[in-house]
Amino acid sequence: MVIYKYIFSFLFCILLGFPLYSQDIELEKDPWKITGVKIGMDVGRFSSYILKPEKTSYAGSLDIGFNNKYFAVFEYGYSEIHLEKTLYDYFSDGTFWKVGFDYNMLKKYPTDYLGIGFRFGQASFDHFAENISKDYSHWGSNITSTPLIKHSASWVEVTIGVKAELIKNVYFGWSALIKVHVTGGTDNSFQPYDIPGFGNPSNAINLGANYFIYYQIPFNRK
Amino acid sequence: MNKNLLKIFFLLFSLFLMINCSDDQCNQTTESILKTRMFVSDPSLISGKFLDSMSVYAPEWTDSIHHVGTSSTDSTDFSLYLSPYSDTTTFILASKSMLDTVHLFYTRKLILLSQECGFVTHFNIKSFNYTTNNIDSVFLIENEITTDNDGYLQIYF
Repeated sequence: MVIYKYIFSFLFCILLGFPLYSQDIELEKDPWKITGVKIGMDVGRFSSYILKPEKTSYAGSLDIGFNNKYFAVFEYGYSEIHLEKTLYDYFSDGTFWKVGFDYNMLKKYPTDYLGIGFRFGQASFDHFAENISKDYSHWGSNITSTPLIKHSASWVEVTIGVKAELIKNVYFGWSALIKVHVTGGTDNSFQPYDIPGFGNPSNAINLGANYFIYYQIPFNRK
Repeated sequence: MNKNLLKIFFLLFSLFLMINCSDDQCNQTTESILKTRMFVSDPSLISGKFLDSMSVYAPEWTDSIHHVGTSSTDSTDFSLYLSPYSDTTTFILASKSMLDTVHLFYTRKLILLSQECGFVTHFNIKSFNYTTNNIDSVFLIENEITTDNDGYLQIYF
């Protein structure tokens, strides 16, 4: 059911974006120049304090814009999970980075952004669980723990998103993500709960969303 | 800022909040079950109500399992549980003082099913052997045993 909500959200974003795209006007081709460097912080992750209190995560981004059309993007983040339950305690922490590019489809609003992007992501993390209490039919109950296990994982992402200049050089942006698992992050004996930056390792494809606030250091701005 | 962009932010942020809401109940199955169907074709066993008296147990257990649902004279179903502590489980099949043994060899996987449900064990049966006092043959139909997918074993007497 949740996946349908994600798909609906993603398609909704695309459908709302088309009218903007159709209003575009042709601009003269400019020589390549850096139009800004944006430093961003993922503010959507702060919703975890209310909605996912077991998860603490931070992420930042750096993107370099060329003609406000093409953007080289680098993201880095940290994620920690502590599930303290009556049946178990689970701990996981790790970091991730992503590198890729964005393409701005807008021409009419040159300081805003509506576009698509591509990322390659890599995460390193470890996890363990203790006080695992379990009642098994006919086999009785026991309390056990797992050793600390280290993992690394990689994935690729396709994004579609928007960024709008709220006040001069301060942007707010949202993007929908389709993340496709490439390697790592799974375990035959103790499956991780979450891959930092990717999500559920049991899924070959994860959908998600990012909310960023950016400050842009302007270059060559008219 | 363009008004259309503001609408997109608002609506999609609302959807995001909706997606993240969930309850704290475990609504999933947490048992990994090996469904086992026993068939009897030997007329002497059928007439002796062999399956009606059948019970299955492991040497480590303090109790035994009897058939689930209604049992016919020539087939009956059992729900068996593999040991979560070992990669081998031995089941003893007992009926009217006649015993047979089935050994199952498998790998285990500890899964954090969900926050609400906690940890479960999934199994993958790699091989098996059995005694042939009354058993004629055993077929492993489904070797993957998870909380979503029961294993399936057929035993013929």
